[in-house]
Amino acid sequence: MATTSASCSLSPLLYPNSHSLSRRSKARFSTILLGQLPLIPNQSISPIWRCPRGKISSVRAVTDAGPATVDPGQERLSKVPISNIRNFSIIAHIDHGKSTLADKLLQLSGTVPKREMKEQFLDNMDLERERGITIKLQAARMRHVVNKEPYCLNLIDTPGHVDFSYEVSRSLAACEGALLVVDASQGVEAQTLANVYLALENDLEIIPVLNKIDLPGADPDRVSREIEEVIGLDCSNAIHCSAKEGIGISEILDAIVANVPPPKDTASLPLRALIFDSYYDPYRGVIVYFRVVDGTIRKGDKVHFMASEKDYFADEIGVMSPNQIEVNELYAGEVGYLSASIRSVADARVGDTITLFNRKAESSLPGYAEATPVVFCGLFPIDADQFLDLRDSLEKLQLNDAALKFEPENSTAMGFGFRCGFLGLLHMEIVQERLEREYNLNLITTAPSVVYKVNCSNGETIEISNPSLLPEPGKLKSIEEPYVRVEMLTPKDYIGALMELGQDRRGIFKEMNFITEYRASIIYELPLAEMVGDFFDQLKSRSKGYASMEYSLIGYRESNLVKLDVQINGEPVEPLATIVHRDKAYSVGRALTQKLKELIPRQLFKVPIQACIGSKVIASESLSAIRKDVLAKCYGGDISRKKKLLKKQAEGKKRMKAIGKVDVPQEAFMAVLKLEKEVI
Amino acid sequence: MLRTRLPVSLCHTSQRNPGIITSVLHIIAPHTRPRTVCRNASFTTEQQLEPTLAKPKEPPTSAYIHLPFCRKRCHYCDFPIVALGSTSSQPGYDNDPRISNYIQLLIREIKATKPESDSQPPLETVFFGGGTPSLVPPHLIASVLDALKSKMGLADEPEISIEMDPGTFDNVRLREILELGVNRVSLGVQSFQEELLRVCGRAHGLKEVYEAIEMVSSCEELENWSMDLISSLPHQTEKMWEESLKCTVDAAPTHVSVYDLQVEQGTKFAQLYTPGVFPLPTDVISADFYKMASKTLTEAGYNHYEISSYAKDAYQCKHNLTYWQNNKSFYGFGLGSASYTNGIRFSRPKRLKEYAEWVQRLEDGTVSYGTSDVEVKDMAMDVVMLSLRTARGLDLKEFGREFGWQLVGTLCEAFRPFVDRGLVVPLDRDRRVLSGDDFEFGKGGTAYFVRLSDPDGFLLSNELISVAFGVISP
Repeated sequence: MATTSASCSLSPLLYPNSHSLSRRSKARFSTILLGQLPLIPNQSISPIWRCPRGKISSVRAVTDAGPATVDPGQERLSKVPISNIRNFSIIAHIDHGKSTLADKLLQLSGTVPKREMKEQFLDNMDLERERGITIKLQAARMRHVVNKEPYCLNLIDTPGHVDFSYEVSRSLAACEGALLVVDASQGVEAQTLANVYLALENDLEIIPVLNKIDLPGADPDRVSREIEEVIGLDCSNAIHCSAKEGIGISEILDAIVANVPPPKDTASLPLRALIFDSYYDPYRGVIVYFRVVDGTIRKGDKVHFMASEKDYFADEIGVMSPNQIEVNELYAGEVGYLSASIRSVADARVGDTITLFNRKAESSLPGYAEATPVVFCGLFPIDADQFLDLRDSLEKLQLNDAALKFEPENSTAMGFGFRCGFLGLLHMEIVQERLEREYNLNLITTAPSVVYKVNCSNGETIEISNPSLLPEPGKLKSIEEPYVRVEMLTPKDYIGALMELGQDRRGIFKEMNFITEYRASIIYELPLAEMVGDFFDQLKSRSKGYASMEYSLIGYRESNLVKLDVQINGEPVEPLATIVHRDKAYSVGRALTQKLKELIPRQLFKVPIQACIGSKVIASESLSAIRKDVLAKCYGGDISRKKKLLKKQAEGKKRMKAIGKVDVPQEAFMAVLKLEKEVI
Repeated sequence: MLRTRLPVSLCHTSQRNPGIITSVLHIIAPHTRPRTVCRNASFTTEQQLEPTLAKPKEPPTSAYIHLPFCRKRCHYCDFPIVALGSTSSQPGYDNDPRISNYIQLLIREIKATKPESDSQPPLETVFFGGGTPSLVPPHLIASVLDALKSKMGLADEPEISIEMDPGTFDNVRLREILELGVNRVSLGVQSFQEELLRVCGRAHGLKEVYEAIEMVSSCEELENWSMDLISSLPHQTEKMWEESLKCTVDAAPTHVSVYDLQVEQGTKFAQLYTPGVFPLPTDVISADFYKMASKTLTEAGYNHYEISSYAKDAYQCKHNLTYWQNNKSFYGFGLGSASYTNGIRFSRPKRLKEYAEWVQRLEDGTVSYGTSDVEVKDMAMDVVMLSLRTARGLDLKEFGREFGWQLVGTLCEAFRPFVDRGLVVPLDRDRRVLSGDDFEFGKGGTAYFVRLSDPDGFLLSNELISVAFGVISP
């Protein structure tokens, strides 16, 4: 155990849950002693990595008290020359096995002991695991030895879904190379292409990896050809792997070392570090993830955030491996985190450049284009008392999700809430679900809408995302709506079905190419508002799940749009107002009024329910008055049951929102809003 | 909205963390403000916290006796009954041990019941309900009455009612029952159409109905009798209902009860029919039936004194009025029956075996009727729910004294829109109708009573009472 005690004295670092050493780790300690010694006194670990709700204090106690058992992976912290650093990310279409591959890389490189391994290790949000998707980018430092030379590999994991492509571009900007993972049976998909283009824009070295070669349907040769034809990437050296079976993993690690260029050695320049992510930890303040581009950062340095012009002392710096492990120094090319008791996330925005207070860099790094929300909806607490909780929760979520935008909104029917902007529908769904799940809120969501540009008759142009704010028809000259270019990749059998879908959604057919003999790419231009419904679901169901899609905004175009109002008993119901194409207004209006008639309980008087464009009623239903609601007999004085019924009735009334004189249950709003999402 | 003292706990919170409450007030619009702050507030002022006020002041002077036996279960019935099945001879159940055993159990319960206070006043009303009480042999009814007499005493001129079904008695039997002191008969006619009696699964036909009416109305010893009818039966037409009402008026009982059919869970009707769907009448038609009854019977000289009860002058059912007015207490004896004593509402087990065990425990002294800490809120709900069923309505002054003037104020505010729509009627001290504008309340206000209008308000009583519940328990 000599090696153990030796390494202990060098770095009393330990894994919080490991109390014994495996044989393997002993073997690897020798490597440390051969390599450069880590200079990391006084480490502390936070095993609660990216988990804002975790308690740090208890872990610290373990660290302080424990007799030194040694972190089996600590050699990851050892310094390597810049020429031995490789920063890379993995890009893939959703479900092509990116997270599984990341798991295997962590495991094989010994970053995560087998015993602590769980599926989708980097996807530590419950929601990510449940849905099997990656939402937040994550980072992990690994060590790989080639020819007895230790290399430091930084994996920056990325989400695959199109809604989160801004996260992808952020992580790509912090890398020099990328693994392009393609399912060896499914081939190139829409998001494969989109992410490859992002990587190429960032001048990344791309290493093609064909995954799932163990599956019976795998056809690596065909898929290789596809990649070569569609992307123009040489696949002669493509790595055949199965992340699930652990085939080809070490080849991937070797290829990263061989092909991904090392970062430029600019450690002597003034510090410039690019913040690519941040999150809020209730105990330590904002934790910033960054990539050092130039210079060196040391623990205790006074750092300056160039965009926000705020100064802080770097209380703690470290690497993610994947748990946060404190180090003393990070230099050009390395990826790490910083904790500086930053109270406001606004002080350390994603995309900002960190420099030293005493030796400021001349110019900041090019940051990221701010993510612009394209889909909006209103979020209202079901219980009005939860308004403040909702605000707090949104603020906290925003710390973790820079793309989320929100502002207060007031509605007669729904009370106080927020209009929130999202990057897409999945993003919207995820935020809603996180609010409900992680913050225990009960929410009503209005139908999603996009941002319209309204040209008023006085020459002014305004942008609105809330249909109820649309100016009166008289003051309106025209409305423009955002259009997207949608690329759908599909087996040729479903071309017809998808073209039909494109036509249904007011799409303009642009082109169609056969990317291989059997697969085609169809390009449509269509209004974003048409996508913001169930477009993706339709795409999947009409192609039996085989088609994939990708879209990008291409600008605003004028459309014949009208505001569809819903009136209950003559009172307009703002949250139910929508902007629709004139041709669809009638069918939408009919569906809405019918649904409302079903859902609103009968009142003591007759209630007309109408859908209108301006003052013109285009669909109308009416709810007849209650004629009778009487309990005939209180038998033998036994009133308990009748009383229970009446109490229930009284409770029901409390959950209603008064629209004028009409009591409308909240469920009616929810159901109608859901319907709006479906029919619009 | 209730603007009363905040409960202590809420006040503490605001002291500890004044910022929270203030910021709420900043953000919430003015009209919602009181609701936010007062959501947990109850009207528990010190005066009302006094538990004795939550109890009826007088010991019970009424007793309900449940006699659960029927020949068979009617298709709409979900009461706790015991179906005896058919026998060959009439009256065929007189020696049925099931009945005599039950009566023994009932008498044991009466004897084991502790009077509410030392000064138990004699009973003013006794009501034999069922089931079909007329199936129980008169000598057994006599033994029950004897038990009551020795336990609580009987007033000089008590109202003693019994429910009787056509086909279960003859003239001899009727007289035997009346000789026991019974002076009010409630005849379960339900319908004057042979086909509807059959649909209901009644154990008698139309012939027995007419025979029973003839016996009861021609009986000189019996001055006060009532007839039960059910409206909104399956296949019932407007014409049939008109005919039933006419036959009722012709029979000239002193009292009529008209029940609007409720399809109760677990009944045969619930299996067969959906409310509002053929063969049940629609809501509109069944509301019309209710209005027809109200019009026809009122024109024939009956007072519509309660949602489903009509009576000629001075023949209101005193026993039922104890349920509805002034929140009076009453005894209940027998299977599944409800009592209200010592401020506690209690329902006995609905199954015979469990009831027998319960009586045993009562005799052993191990029975608990439940806690007497009835919430003041619940008391107020009982009073509102029961009194609004009557034509007399809610006595606002009494209610204000008992539950606070603020509650009266908010209640009246909540009712004001319904006054304008003619569903709720405010009345002054002399029971003159007040207009919506004159509708002032509170300690010195002109409104003394508030009642539901007949028939429109009565027809929507659930809606209106639940509005009041929402005020009492916001």
